[in-house]
Amino acid sequence: MRRGLGVKAGAEVNLRLAYLLRNLSRNPLRSGLTCAAVALPITIFVLSVAVVDGIDRFLDNSSRQLRLAVTHRASLVNPLPSGYRLKIESLDRSRSEITSVCGMGWLGGTIENDPRLLSTLSVDADSFPATFPEYLQSPDELAAWQRDRQAIVIGRGTAAQFGWKVGDRITIRASVPPYAAMPFHVVSTADQAVDPVTNFCRRDYVVEELKKAGYGDDHVSFFFVKCSTKEALDRYRRAIDALFANSPDQTLTQDEKAFMSQFITQQFDLPRNLTILASVTVFVAVMAAMNTMSMSFRDRLSEYAALKAMGFRGTTILLIVQSESLLLCGLGGLVGAAGPYVAFTWTPLSAYTVPLIQTLEIAPAVCGQALGISLLIGLLAAVWPSWAVVRLRVVEALRSLE
Amino acid sequence: MSILLYYNLRNLLARRLSTSLTLVVIAVMVFVLGILLSFAAGMQATLASTGSPLNIIVLKPGATAESTSIILPEEAAQLAQTPGLANDANGRPLLSRELCVQTDLPRRNAARSAANVAIRGVEEVAFVVHPEVRIVAGRPFQQGALELIAGQAAVGRFHGLEVGSRITIGRQSHRQYTVVGIFTAGGGALESEIWAPRTMLADSYQRQLSSSVLLRLRGPEFLPEALAYINGPSVQLTGKSETAYYDDLASTTREVILLTTVLIGIMAVGAVFAVANTMYAAVDGRRRELAMLRAIGFRRVAIMAALLSESLLLSLVACVAGCLAAAAFSGLRQDFLSNYTWTVLAFELRMTSGVVAACVGLAVVVGVAGALAPGVRAARVNVLEALRKA
Repeated sequence: MRRGLGVKAGAEVNLRLAYLLRNLSRNPLRSGLTCAAVALPITIFVLSVAVVDGIDRFLDNSSRQLRLAVTHRASLVNPLPSGYRLKIESLDRSRSEITSVCGMGWLGGTIENDPRLLSTLSVDADSFPATFPEYLQSPDELAAWQRDRQAIVIGRGTAAQFGWKVGDRITIRASVPPYAAMPFHVVSTADQAVDPVTNFCRRDYVVEELKKAGYGDDHVSFFFVKCSTKEALDRYRRAIDALFANSPDQTLTQDEKAFMSQFITQQFDLPRNLTILASVTVFVAVMAAMNTMSMSFRDRLSEYAALKAMGFRGTTILLIVQSESLLLCGLGGLVGAAGPYVAFTWTPLSAYTVPLIQTLEIAPAVCGQALGISLLIGLLAAVWPSWAVVRLRVVEALRSLE
Repeated sequence: MSILLYYNLRNLLARRLSTSLTLVVIAVMVFVLGILLSFAAGMQATLASTGSPLNIIVLKPGATAESTSIILPEEAAQLAQTPGLANDANGRPLLSRELCVQTDLPRRNAARSAANVAIRGVEEVAFVVHPEVRIVAGRPFQQGALELIAGQAAVGRFHGLEVGSRITIGRQSHRQYTVVGIFTAGGGALESEIWAPRTMLADSYQRQLSSSVLLRLRGPEFLPEALAYINGPSVQLTGKSETAYYDDLASTTREVILLTTVLIGIMAVGAVFAVANTMYAAVDGRRRELAMLRAIGFRRVAIMAALLSESLLLSLVACVAGCLAAAAFSGLRQDFLSNYTWTVLAFELRMTSGVVAACVGLAVVVGVAGALAPGVRAARVNVLEALRKA
């Protein structure tokens, strides 16, 4: 008896499954179209989220590094006297809270016969490794940096873009004084660093070139101050500004995250606009999926009426409608999420560079999220049909049959 | 004709949910396209209307923008010998030494976020070299006074630039300049700038050397000769025609258009599916009707045309809705930080006729593409079979 029931239940599940699959393959074109209509917006969604994630990762790293950025109060582009470094260091003579201070100057740079702009900073050679421990991690690289005045650290994205390797001799023309074409020696391609774009060269080399070209003054664009603890970071943020409050060149000290995000929000406000775009595309996907589900349901109204008349319960039919919608949208979501993942992980596209964050990394978690969203779309799309199934009056539905 | 249209309309209304969902999908797509293209069009229009083919902008070789360039006085003196250089009424050469610096100003948005705004230090001659610059409110600044004039786009986008207000600029933040006038520059990029007397600005920013030199030629035919002189061995600076310089800055616009094309392409495919779905439903639900039409003498082509016009009607209505929504944002002021100059360019979203044409074109393509497959199915309806089922 019990066994008989089990067989019956199994058969019913099989029947349902068969019915579901037959429904999907009954109009393969429409099923395919619906799948694609979900897959494509999901692809846009995954790509936008990947860009926003890249920016977030970048900013999160900035906040973890416990660094302060000291710029000129009036404007970022106003220079600060390089002597400020000593004054900042003197705030903590024990060096227990301010670990190191690194002055940095904008160099920009272009290479011969190439319109692409480089993002190069000249940095204090002695304090750079301590202030930016994510660079020059291997002893060999560090030794090369300390030994060679023409040493340059190339961002890993930039290195890939220009095909530069450790040991290469390259020539970069400075975009600011001294404007000279300067030879450099690549000592590292910063494989561990989060920022894939920026290059760092030694400031003593640039200052020497400045003197040679007759530009006398020694200024930096900003200082980075590495602190030992979060408390020290907060305290010295105010202390540094207070130190220079009555000097001709007042400073503005921010933590590194605030400093970095001002660049990002100034360029199109990328994170916000991409989030809006991602939501709009998901909205389009919901609409397209709802459209199909409502249509395929309408086509089968009489069938469901017949099923109800035969004694199938409303909930059973509801389950069929829901699972069909879930399956279709889930499949679309899978294709839409896997597409960019495969494309940006295993194909030449992975070398594609996006402004600012350069490399696009599609995290599996984002794909999972996208799949979740597509299942949600499936649920939403079946809401109206499900509601109609439950309300369906057998007699009326059968009567309206043609 | 009117009966046909009415028939189409009724058919669309028969499937309200499906029709309205498709309508929304297309409208949203057209809206996104409209916004992104007006963005690009506004930026392009601003940069394209900047610069005169008669002008040459001279920078230091290696410098990528005016703000990072330095021109020494002796170099400027050499530039005065440029062949073809025009003179003003008093016989002085039309050579404008300009100093480009920047300051942070709060935007007119809720967050009042700071934007890096360009300040140009100029002498009287600059107004002859840039004849498009016109004072529209207040008066020009006086050389030697702590006064400035602000471009109209900058006034619209940033706080504190109204005539009569005072702003603090300069390296040591102790100089207050009074805004005495507002200028336009033919809708160009200069309208995002602030102009002040060069000598005062040089003092406030402690930058005695000018950033760039603008030359005005007597005629465009002198351009090759003048450029050869400036870029040649005797001067060794980088000269570019002003139009070419701003054209290079517009390269970002091309990136925006590329991105737009990709995104809209993907969305359009989705929209085509939505239309196709709707039209398939329209065909399947009407097999007998279509068979009857065939039986009383309508040709296959006529039936396909009817379906096509139905789909076009749908997508064009949606297109109008999307365009209207996008047009509501036209004129919205935006700014963009150029990665060449590191200063912001304020511009308006512009719903140009080209943008509208692109939107309508896309809607038509989506409408036609979506109706093709269902149309073929409709034309292939087997008359006898479909009627027998009645």
